[in-house]
Amino acid sequence: MSILVDIQHVSKKYKDAPRAAVNDLSLTINKGDIFGLLGPNGAGKTTFISMLCGLFPTTSGEIYINGLTHKTNSKACKQVIGVVPQEIALYPKLTAWENLMFLGHMYGLGGSDLKEKVKENLTILGLEANMHQKIISYSGGMKRRVNLIAGLLHNPQLLILDEPTVGVDVQSKQAIIEHLKKLNKEKGMTILYTSHHLEEAEDFCSHIAIIDDGKLITRGATKELISSNNCNSIEEVYLKITGVKFRDK
Amino acid sequence: MKLLYSIYKEYKVLTRDRAGLAITFIMPTVLILIITLIQDTTFRSVNEASVPLLIVDRDNDSLSIALEKSLINSKFFVITKKQMTDEETKTEIAKGTYFIGVIIPENTSKKLREKSGARVTKLLNSFSGDSTETAVDTNKLNVQLFFDPITKKSFKTTVSNSFERIISQIEMQSMMSALNEKMQESFPLAKPSPLEITPIVNLKEDYASYNNSSIIPNSVQHNVPAWTLFAMFFICIPLAGNIIKERDDGSAFRLLTMPGSYMIVILGKMLTYVIVSLIQFALMLCVGVFVLPMMGMPELNIGNSLPVLFLVAFASGLAATGFGLLVGTIATSHDQASLFGAVFVIILAAIGGIWVPTFVMPEVMKKISVISPLNWGLEAFYGIFLRNFGLKEIFPEVAKLLAFFAASLGGAYLYQKYKRLK
Repeated sequence: MSILVDIQHVSKKYKDAPRAAVNDLSLTINKGDIFGLLGPNGAGKTTFISMLCGLFPTTSGEIYINGLTHKTNSKACKQVIGVVPQEIALYPKLTAWENLMFLGHMYGLGGSDLKEKVKENLTILGLEANMHQKIISYSGGMKRRVNLIAGLLHNPQLLILDEPTVGVDVQSKQAIIEHLKKLNKEKGMTILYTSHHLEEAEDFCSHIAIIDDGKLITRGATKELISSNNCNSIEEVYLKITGVKFRDK
Repeated sequence: MKLLYSIYKEYKVLTRDRAGLAITFIMPTVLILIITLIQDTTFRSVNEASVPLLIVDRDNDSLSIALEKSLINSKFFVITKKQMTDEETKTEIAKGTYFIGVIIPENTSKKLREKSGARVTKLLNSFSGDSTETAVDTNKLNVQLFFDPITKKSFKTTVSNSFERIISQIEMQSMMSALNEKMQESFPLAKPSPLEITPIVNLKEDYASYNNSSIIPNSVQHNVPAWTLFAMFFICIPLAGNIIKERDDGSAFRLLTMPGSYMIVILGKMLTYVIVSLIQFALMLCVGVFVLPMMGMPELNIGNSLPVLFLVAFASGLAATGFGLLVGTIATSHDQASLFGAVFVIILAAIGGIWVPTFVMPEVMKKISVISPLNWGLEAFYGIFLRNFGLKEIFPEVAKLLAFFAASLGGAYLYQKYKRLK
């Protein structure tokens, strides 16, 4: 399998921070992987994703996406990525249709292609009947589904999901996970997924990496990771590696 | 296409925010209507004062008639004539019913004629070599003035000087009449033409203005542009709030991960808010031209150059949106942006002459006022409304507004860069 994301000794230290948020992190994500990035609060997941998306530069090290870096080819790197933030990054007073049409245009899409794509995704995720309602009137699960569609409109090679199922009902969670699995299987879409739902991560991810204190603690294929640690689940592995101590700042 | 869709999105978001629309359009309209009406009397007192004046005329002769006529012609006083004692007159003035009271004692005209005659006789006798001393009464005639105790010294001096000037003219006329009579006595067969006693030197006064414009500033001409500018700059609050909301709800994060989209979204936002500020401006002009005259206010004279007027509005709109962008970039929460934005705009408005016009400010505040972008906009509007300025004359103010816009953008960019690299 070819490498889509290659992280080489990446560190990030914020000014005035006592320690690095990400510390000499190296890992690769292959094309077609569903890659789970797990870790306690403050482990450095958000910082890592922000650097991967090109929001701010690394202090040291390199991030290659399809062999390109944000430093030299930011536009091409961003074209490869689709992001689904943890927050509902939608305009509450616009309808789902209006939100997705706007975001589609911002990806450089347009015309009947975009309209069809928006309609198709809304239909797949069961929102066709409500697409002309304002987001403010949607339930949490409906908002999450629209939030997901917004990251998929330009058919990204790498979809970054930051806790995509937090606070949603079982039905919506099921619809989201099934749709993502289908995209991975049928379109070969690579997925980078972060979550605190470890059971969901175990079921969904082909590969998992656990980071803590900005450092990569372990990584590998999900099943191998469980067996090599003599555990029965990813949750056991996680607690074994990161401990049970609270991570309050 | 991206830009157009970004503007379309902002338009949709704005038009569905009823509270925001009310703040944007209804607030300045109400402010203009209320404050123009409230300040109308104050502006009139600056321009065309109508001072209530009481005349107690016990003379009822040439002097009192001439004095009253001159006072009426000055158009400075609202005159009431009554008969009352000195004490009663004083009480009326002290109560504030009248600003000024004038008492012309009995026989003042008669005594003036007698004194004038005596002085002329003395003068003519000295010409003919008559050394006989003609007795001249040196006692002065008194015309009593009472002023309201709250009257400012400068105003009191102005009024006293006006009275002295009028009375001097009357005295001169009386002297000339006496001279005329004496000459006729000396040359009974002569038929001289009457002596012209109208003033020879005329003091010509006018407001200094360009292009023969002679518009006097009034409440409408101050308040319409002033409060329109205030509303334009108040746009910084919804704009900053919009930026912070996008940052808080992850929209900015998503947009920043899209290739080259965030700058277009920001540009779309700014253009939308500039368009909103131009609509505000057009609406406020309509209030000044059509609505205020219906309420008995003077009609807003919008000068001769509509394109120049809208250029100033455009530059002001840019300055306001640039400031909003800066506030939205620096503030960490919506509350912070609202508070900081509102307080800062109010301070800029206060020192910029929006509430109290700069021409009535103390010298030190006049000097400080030039640092406010609202003052630059206001001065440019004054130039167009009151002095019929064109592009050349208002260019310095427009340039300052554009420089403020550029500085705000630069500040926002540098702060963003600093945060990104932090």
